[in-house]
Amino acid sequence: MSRINTTLRSKKILIDQFAHQGLKTLALLSASFIFLIGSVILVKGLTPFLTDNDGLGRVGLIPFITGNVWLIDPTFQSSLYSVGFLIITTLYIVFLSLLISFPVGVLTALFIAKIAPKKLAECFRSVVEILASIPSIIYGLFGAGFILKIVYQMSQLVGVQSKGGNSVLSTVIILALMTIPTITTVSEVAIRSVDQRLIEGSLALGASFTQTNFKVVLTAAKSGIFTAAILGVGRALGEATAVSLVAGGRRSGLSFDLLDTTATLTTTMLEGMKESQGLDYNIRFSVGMVLLVVILITNFLLNLIKRKVGKIHVK
Amino acid sequence: MKKIIGCFTLILALLLTGCSRGLFNEDAKITVYTRDTTSGTRDGFMNGIGFSEAAKQDDLLVSGFLIKDNTAILNAMTIDEYGIGYISLSSLTDNVKGLKLNGVIPSEANVLNDTYDLKRPFMWMIRAEADYPSEAVELLVQAFVAFLNTTDAGDIINNAGAIALPSSTTWDSIKNDYPITAEDNHLITVRFGGSDSIQKVAQALTQAFSAKAGNFIAEHDHTGSGDGWKRTNGDSKDQAEGKDVGFSSRNFTSAELANVNATQTGQLAWDAIVTIVHNDNPIENITTQILKNIYSGAYTLWSDLPETD
Repeated sequence: MSRINTTLRSKKILIDQFAHQGLKTLALLSASFIFLIGSVILVKGLTPFLTDNDGLGRVGLIPFITGNVWLIDPTFQSSLYSVGFLIITTLYIVFLSLLISFPVGVLTALFIAKIAPKKLAECFRSVVEILASIPSIIYGLFGAGFILKIVYQMSQLVGVQSKGGNSVLSTVIILALMTIPTITTVSEVAIRSVDQRLIEGSLALGASFTQTNFKVVLTAAKSGIFTAAILGVGRALGEATAVSLVAGGRRSGLSFDLLDTTATLTTTMLEGMKESQGLDYNIRFSVGMVLLVVILITNFLLNLIKRKVGKIHVK
Repeated sequence: MKKIIGCFTLILALLLTGCSRGLFNEDAKITVYTRDTTSGTRDGFMNGIGFSEAAKQDDLLVSGFLIKDNTAILNAMTIDEYGIGYISLSSLTDNVKGLKLNGVIPSEANVLNDTYDLKRPFMWMIRAEADYPSEAVELLVQAFVAFLNTTDAGDIINNAGAIALPSSTTWDSIKNDYPITAEDNHLITVRFGGSDSIQKVAQALTQAFSAKAGNFIAEHDHTGSGDGWKRTNGDSKDQAEGKDVGFSSRNFTSAELANVNATQTGQLAWDAIVTIVHNDNPIENITTQILKNIYSGAYTLWSDLPETD
């Protein structure tokens, strides 16, 4: 009897060990991709700064990060690249789009989680989930076919001749549309997990439903809602395809004008990539490196703020 | 609630009036659309209007230009009444207005009879007789060149966005002249190179032809028109990068043709570019000089353009 037990037990342990090792290998494998991707980007991205690029001359790191013109002199014959203005416009665009998508997304989440009747909530939830899974190129096509036209005609009405609607405004609208579902899904989970006792306590004290929702529920879910915003910023920062269809491909000069053309780090990487070679190809990896740094810094700062504001813990 | 409905009706009404207006304001600024500096179409356009410096350099263009790809420029001209752009002639549709150049309508017929100017020839060149890695490669190359003049190749060229030269021969009617194509050639590699603008067309052609000619391997390495001659009959023809067939998206120069027989070279297609504007734009005709002035920023308003016939 005890022998059977021992074999059974050792068999169980064996299976456990197998599963353990197997999962560990998979986890290591997927984690190692970040090093692989990181090192490829780093090696390719550092080449323009370290070599003389087949005679074109080394790209200067400081001018690269601070400059106001993407490329001076002919392509394939010059090493005078810079992305300074692109870093700022990228952040500017992401900030503006968050200004739209954050309130809309959070309030939608509040409605779905707390106010809507069960069936309606279910329906809205699936719509938002579908929106979140729509590929960015579809948003881009919608932007190129519809948003551009609307923005162009609207700007005409106010007496401004915009460049076919290709503008900061169109880009911001597209990015806002893309980030709303992300923000809604994540903050809805946060809102739903607010402790029911907190809500009941608020209601028992005589607060109305609206007061409770805005002053108790949203405050309690603050930390989760902030996470939603961080994810939204991440999606907006990294978006290339959709944005490149409505941005207009600005190549120089910083402009905060809502109806002027613009460009982001990602669109500049994307445009012409297929037909490029040599330094003009490698420099896109350097832009990628800059983008990664920008994303890391923004995430770090947002997490810092999140820790400061999200002090209330629920559950 | 009434206020909200009122607001919506107002916006809707404004939108509708915005859509229905078809008046063209001559004093509006010209919005200039272009491809990016790596594009072959941009290269062809800028060279065609005598502004070749701007083919690879953005800061020579009028300030505030937009960079878009072929389809996006086409799409932009359906929205932007004051825009101007250029696309490959094969993508021209009725949704935009293709401008006459120097009085000539941009059409396939006018490209083929050599009256429409904004175009460039797609040329091929092969190695000298008996100067191939093997006899099989030489026979395959000869068969390929014959294939280029068939209607089969013409369809492929047109599908790939260029304009094929007129032909009435089908491959089936001449394939017996090239017995090599009936053999199994899957171990034989033929090297193609030269102009990168032709790469798409060339790859489509070799892909189709390989299936008809014993599945030989087509190796494509396109590095620019200059290498079309250099790597088949020039300095580097016997180096590792030597090619059996070279392409060029311009006519071969007389210096290049000095050591080449007339049978070693020919044209396979035209690549034509058309200038497009919005359908509401009253302009019908444009000249290469005006185009240069628009792209360089000498003319910034539509009213700056001189009258042309």
